[in-house]
This record gives sequence, structure tokens and C-alpha cells, in this order.
Amino acid sequence: MITAITDSFTQDHHRCDHLLAATEASVGSGDWSAIDAAATALVDAMNRHFALEEDVVFPALARVFRVAENPIEIMCSEHAQMRQLFEELGESVAMCDKTAVLGLLETLHFLVQQHNYKEEGVLYPMADGALPEQAAEMAALLNQV
Amino acid sequence: MLNTAGLSLDQAPPIGVPFAFFLTAPLFAVAAGGLLLWQGELILISRWTPPALVVTHLIALGFLTQIMCGALLQMLPVLAGSPVPRVVLVGRATQVLLILGTLSLSAGLLWGGAAWLTLGGGSLMAGLMIFATATGIALTRARGVRRTVVAMRLALVALLVTLLLGVLLVVVLLGGWRLSGFVDWVNLHLAWGLLGWTGMLIMGVGYQVVPMFHVTPAYPDWLMRWAAPLVAVALTVASALMATGQGAAATGWMGLGALCFVVFAGVSLDRQRRRERPRLDATLLYWRSAMISALLAAALWLAGGRAELVGVLVLIGVGIGLPSGMLFKIVPFLSWFHLQHRQVATRRFDVRVPHMHTFIPEAPARIQFGVYLVALLALVAAAALPAFDVAPGVGKSLARLGGFALVLSSGFLWFLLARSFWRFRGFGL
Ligand code: HEM
Ligand SMILES: [Fe+2]
Ligand SMILES: [Fe+2]
Repeated sequence: MITAITDSFTQDHHRCDHLLAATEASVGSGDWSAIDAAATALVDAMNRHFALEEDVVFPALARVFRVAENPIEIMCSEHAQMRQLFEELGESVAMCDKTAVLGLLETLHFLVQQHNYKEEGVLYPMADGALPEQAAEMAALLNQV
Repeated sequence: MLNTAGLSLDQAPPIGVPFAFFLTAPLFAVAAGGLLLWQGELILISRWTPPALVVTHLIALGFLTQIMCGALLQMLPVLAGSPVPRVVLVGRATQVLLILGTLSLSAGLLWGGAAWLTLGGGSLMAGLMIFATATGIALTRARGVRRTVVAMRLALVALLVTLLLGVLLVVVLLGGWRLSGFVDWVNLHLAWGLLGWTGMLIMGVGYQVVPMFHVTPAYPDWLMRWAAPLVAVALTVASALMATGQGAAATGWMGLGALCFVVFAGVSLDRQRRRERPRLDATLLYWRSAMISALLAAALWLAGGRAELVGVLVLIGVGIGLPSGMLFKIVPFLSWFHLQHRQVATRRFDVRVPHMHTFIPEAPARIQFGVYLVALLALVAAAALPAFDVAPGVGKSLARLGGFALVLSSGFLWFLLARSFWRFRGFGL
């Protein structure tokens, strides 16, 4: 059984979890340039992850596996919700609003967790099963900087 | 076959179903606190006094079981990928009967009326059977994370055994049946209720939410594989021994079940110590106090300490603490998530959905925990006192203080949850 997509994308989820935790930790310091840097690193990493899913993995999966269309649509609408939170996070960091930054990070964290839970449990195993030849290649894309 | 159920919000019950459970439960904790304020010293002198039995069930059924039922109806579609059939009907029926049953059973235990006991036992039987059937169906179909699903299934079986033993005790109290070794049977009932139903559900849910909430390492696989099934085996063997009149040996097997939970509690504390999210939020504080309470309770019980003190640690330290801490995350997230969903459905992108801390801010949640901690510490001290030789007035004041603080903290919990719901409802979407 191939698990290349599941393994590598799950690992990338964890990488993003660490970045979110690091952003939260930086808020404690009160150094807003450090907070800004941490938030930017988080948002960049997540946007890159979404792009690989939306541009590479999901379209390929939808082509060979029609039943995946509905779950993919749900995943993409959750990406949109998270992008909305990124925008609000950016604004709150710019305004040095600590309460809002922490509240938005908490919200983002929960949305991300339940989103990842569904991808790791359903979408990725589906993709590994449906795209056995491309799985390793797609997984490798995550490691290119 | 891949399971796509539970991916969308359409699978989740309407927000009103879990919220009705969450908003009613604190009122039962207020009632328990009120009884402690009124008759605290009596309650903590002996577990067998009528008000002690009532406080026990106000907490175990009115607060704890109520929240666990609401949370399971909410979580099953997401965690186990399996929606509960007829969830609105099941939710309402379960809740009405649970409330009626808890109040009647309490009245019966307090004043000894046969009618109250009958009504209480009957309503609880009906309500919890409806609940167990519906969630049981969902859990047999469930294909989520296996360790969690197994623990939840076992917890549900334990709820049924607790219920049957509880009803058996009611029948005995009504004089319908004579049972030798009544105390042993009560102990068996409470072991299935606390270690089985509550303990195994905490394990199953903890495997998922502890790593998720605070970004900790996962629980070790040997623990997730063995802890809940071993508790179930221990309780089953204990029951068989009890039924064949070997009460002493049965207690030993219950000890094994308690040890499994001790390991779980210790590992949980260790995972949370190694968490990456740095903030010490109310949920984390509650998990810590609950796991420490569980460890102390187990040590004390194994050492033959006062049952009343063990009871305070388990029922107030774990039974009130852990669900409170969970609600501080679940309720704001559900509020936010449903609003967000409505925004997408109505395409109202001009409005901005407020973030989670707008629903329950961090500071009042921490203060609520502080008041709760006063209640817990005062009641622990009051329950420990009779073992020492101190003036009786001290114990009485401590018990009253604890009861008063429990009324305050539970009322405050209710207010924070209700305000979150009002904010949700009042938002123009
Ligand atoms: C489901 C319906 C239930 C019924 C009908 C019921 C009934 C009873 C009865 C009749 C007693 C003994 C009263 C006496 O000795 O005078 C008892 C004791 C007890 N029950 Fe329940 N119970 C139920 C559920 C639960 C649940 C779910 C829990 C825990 C989660 C629980 C925890 C306890 C405890 C801890 C005691 C011992 C109290 C003490 O010794 O101080 N019960 N129950
Ligand atoms: Fe995604
Ligand atoms: Fe993803």
C-alpha cells in the first residue's frame, strides 16, 4: 500500500502546527517585529501547502475519482476560511493587537486541526489509492523550497 | 470503501442540540453546590447520608453524563465519521428524560419516596437506553480512529451496565429484592459509572484532543491499545466475582482498572508538559487539576483512605473539572464554526465573524477556574479533616465555603457559556 501522500502531507501539517505554536510563543515576548516574522512564516507555509493541494493533488484526484469532488470542494472552502483568518491575522499584527492575535491564532488552530483530521483520514488515503504512480512525485514537491 | 461521512457540517447536529445539554448541566452543579452549602458537613462525614447520595448523582448524571451525552452527539460525526440517526429527536428525548430522571432520583434518595425512586429509575432507564441505542448504531458504523472508537464503544457498554446496576439498586431500595452485600454492589455500580463510562470516554476523547488542543506528542500506542480494554476486562472480572459472592477478590480487580487510569493520567500530564502551544489556558489548567485529582484519588483509594475524600477528588476534581475545561474550547469553536458556515451559506462576506475568544475570553475563563479551585481545595480539606483531630467547627466552615464556591463557579460557568450562545444568536447572520 502506498502512503507517500498521506505521510508527507501529514508531516507538512505538523510543520505548520509547529509554526503556529511558535507564533503564539512569540506573542508572549511582546516584540512585534518577531511576532510579525513568525506570523509571516506561518502564513507562507500554509499558503504553499494549500497551493500544492489545490493545484496538484486535488485536481489529479478529481480526474480519476469522481466521488472525491464533493469532499474536495469542502476542503477548498475551508482553505478559503483560513485565508480569511490569515488576512485578519495580518491586520491585527499590524495594529499590535495582542488579544486579537491570540484569538485569531486559537480560531485558526481549531479550524486547521479539524481540517487536517479530515484530510489525513479521508482525502490523502484516497489520493494515495487513486494515484499510485504519481504519489511519490507529489510528495517530493513538498521538499522543494 | 473510503468513508466520506462527517466531512461536512451538514452531518453535524444543529448547534441547539449540544448547546441545550451544555447550558443545562451547570445548573445541576449549582444545585450540588447549594446542597453542600446547606449540609456540607453531613455530606462529607459519610457517603451514605441521603444528601451525599444526591450530590453524587446531581454531579454524575446532571452535570457529567449530561455533558458527555451532548458532546458525544456532537463529536461522533466528526471523530468517528458517523452521524447519529435522528439526532434532534434522540437528543431532545435523552435530555428531557435525563433531567427528569436525575431530579426524581435525587428526590427519592433525599426523602425516600418510592414513587420518586420509581420515576427516577424509569426515566433514566428510558433516556439512557434511547441514547445508547442511537449512539451505539453510529458507533458500530464508525470507521474513524480505531483506538478512540474502541474506547467509546466500551464506554457506552459501561454506561448500560451502570444503568442496570443503578436500577437494580433502586429495586433493592424499594424492597423488591433482597441482595446480600449491598455495599459491594453499590461499589460495583460506581466503578462501572466512574472508571467505565467516565474513565474510558475520557481516554477515548483524550487520545484525540490532548495532542490536538495543545500540540503535544501523541499518546504511546501501547497505552491506546491496552488501557481502555484492560479497564473493561477488570470491571467484567470484578462483576463476575461479585456475582459469585467473592467481594474481596472483586475489589482487587477494580484496583487494576484504577491503575490503568493512573497510567493514562500520568501520561496525559507528561504529554501536556511537552506541549508546543505555550499558553496556560483554562482548559489546560482544568486538565492538570483533573489528572492530579485522579492520581490522588487512586493513591488514596489503594491506601484505604476515606471514601468521602476519594469521592470529592473524583466527582468534583475530575467529574466537574474536566468537562468544564473541555466546554471552554468546544463552545466557542462551535459558535464560530456555525457562524462561519452560515456566512458561506448566505454569502454575507461583508460581515466579519468574530474570533473564538470573543465568545469566551481567556481572562474570565481563568477567573472561573480560580473560583472552582477554591471550591475543590476547600471541599478536599473538609473531607480530609475527619481523619484528623480538629475542632468540628473548622470542617463545617470549610464545607460551607466549598459549597458556596461551587455555586459561584458553576453559576459563572453557566453565565460564560450562555453569553457565548447569546453572542452567537445575536450576531446578524
Ligand atoms: C443511570 C442511572 C443510575 C441510577 C438509577 C443510580 C442509582 C443509584 C443508587 C440507588 C445508589 C445507591 C443509593 C443508596 O445506597 O442508598 C447509587 C449509588 C451511587 N451511584 Fe448511581 N445511579 C445511576 C447512575 C450513576 C452514574 C452514571 C454514576 C456515575 C457516573 C453513578 C454513581 C454512583 C455512585 C458514586 C454511588 C455511590 C454513592 C455513595 O456511596 O456515596 N450512578 N446509584
Ligand atoms: Fe487542506
Ligand atoms: Fe492539508
